[in-house]
Amino acid sequence: MIAADKLCYRSKLRYVNAGEKFWFSVLTMLFLILSRSLSMAVLVLLVNGLLTVKNGGIGLGSYLRLLSVPLVFLILSTLAVVVNVSKVPLDAYAVPVGAFYITGSRESLLFGMQLIGTAMASVSCLYFLSLHTTMTDILGVLEGLHCPRLLTELMLLIYRFIFVLMDTASAILISQKARLGHRNFKTSIRSFGWMGAGLLMKAFQRSNALYDAMESRCYAGSIRVLREQRSVKPGEVGAIVCFELLLLGMTIGRKL
Amino acid sequence: MKSGEKDVIIEARDLCYSYEEGGERALNYVNLKIERGRKVAFMGANGSGKSTFFLCCNGIFRPESGTLLFDGRPVEYTKQGLLDLRRRVGIVFQDPDNQLFLASVYQEISFGPMNLGMREEDVKREVEQVIEKLEITPFRERPAHALSGGQKKQVSIADVLVMHPEVVILDEPAAALDAKHAKIVREIVDKMAAEGITVLMATHNIDYALEWADEIVLMQEGRVLLQGDPVTVCRNQEALQMANQEPPAVLTLYKKLVEKGVLKQEGNVPRSLAQLGRYIDEQEQG
Repeated sequence: MIAADKLCYRSKLRYVNAGEKFWFSVLTMLFLILSRSLSMAVLVLLVNGLLTVKNGGIGLGSYLRLLSVPLVFLILSTLAVVVNVSKVPLDAYAVPVGAFYITGSRESLLFGMQLIGTAMASVSCLYFLSLHTTMTDILGVLEGLHCPRLLTELMLLIYRFIFVLMDTASAILISQKARLGHRNFKTSIRSFGWMGAGLLMKAFQRSNALYDAMESRCYAGSIRVLREQRSVKPGEVGAIVCFELLLLGMTIGRKL
Repeated sequence: MKSGEKDVIIEARDLCYSYEEGGERALNYVNLKIERGRKVAFMGANGSGKSTFFLCCNGIFRPESGTLLFDGRPVEYTKQGLLDLRRRVGIVFQDPDNQLFLASVYQEISFGPMNLGMREEDVKREVEQVIEKLEITPFRERPAHALSGGQKKQVSIADVLVMHPEVVILDEPAAALDAKHAKIVREIVDKMAAEGITVLMATHNIDYALEWADEIVLMQEGRVLLQGDPVTVCRNQEALQMANQEPPAVLTLYKKLVEKGVLKQEGNVPRSLAQLGRYIDEQEQG
């Protein structure tokens, strides 16, 4: 999460209108899930990879590393679909183990591939959004979509104070380590508990102080701020519309 | 206002406040007057009531007894009255992480004027102006958590200045800043003072207070121990001691130089080391 946050402030696509990026990711993901087509998944993965690395200026290495995080989970969960234990060998492969076979059918193998493909491509869509759009901009889009204010305001505060919380936690951790609070497992457990308690207290203090500070600037119950709008570029919109139409065509073609 | 009468912007009459009902008083009959356009340094030990008084000036704390007058009129603790007070009195809090609550610098600065119900175009213009004026442009696109301490301080001052307050209160603005950023902050403070804004500043740096302030307020245990011009206050050893302060280096040095006959005591007492240096040069030549 922190890695993604750092990258998005450096992305060259950061100043592209957030709405464009949002609809691109969401629509693409929608078509992926509707169609479950492996070819579409490959296409989307390539397009997103190209956009992220080439246009966004994010290093291929760090992009692949980020993609590999969900890959492990996906492979583990897909194993359940692809690998069966059965007395009868199935058509794709069969490894005899005693009286049983570790085996799988062609159908389930294909299904597994589709699952991984679709999921990875969907992840790449979400990455596209989060690696090139700052949280502030995403919130702007959500507000534009009339997402309840309570939710967006909470997200806004959480996003800002996650970093303060982490700073505080790491300061506490350092101060504990300096006093041998993590000398062994037992002290570590205890120190961790104290840290939790300490963080809770700090959070209360901070929220009080924050409320005072907000009131001092005439806060009256709703957080109203000015959004910086990035202009919508017709060329970009055109490209997105064409791409989504292509995906729509592929989805319909598959369902017919 | 009659001529000869002082133009008092903030006046406290027997102001009392305690954080818990029946608990120890954080403010214990505070009486003071602050004139418009002055630079006032608030000094005193930790917990002597400086921050509590500041929060009263902005209407965050309502005094349990006594009166606070702003611009000659008692503060009204109604929605409109508080809004009015808070528009005219801005506070820059000590810890910027308690003040900056938005991830974007631009949005952060726009919060105050949006709350005042200004039109969006006007807010935009004001925000751009203050970003320009406080030299925030180089980091305006960065998220709040990626700013340095000094940059956060600049943004928190911009937060307040964008609302065009008549009084700006700064709670230890240079605490925890390196010399370079402390200087930037002080330059900004001097700029506001030059524009006629009344500046109240809590500080533990007595050398700076002596040099900068028009007036020093010494606080101790929730009351005003001494209020007066910086030289008078800084020469009052007894009061300084009671407020946990050391006398300024320049005064100690000046006193010693006069005692030893190196300098003749004439004219004004120097208020900064630079000024003392000039005195020495002048006496050598003349």
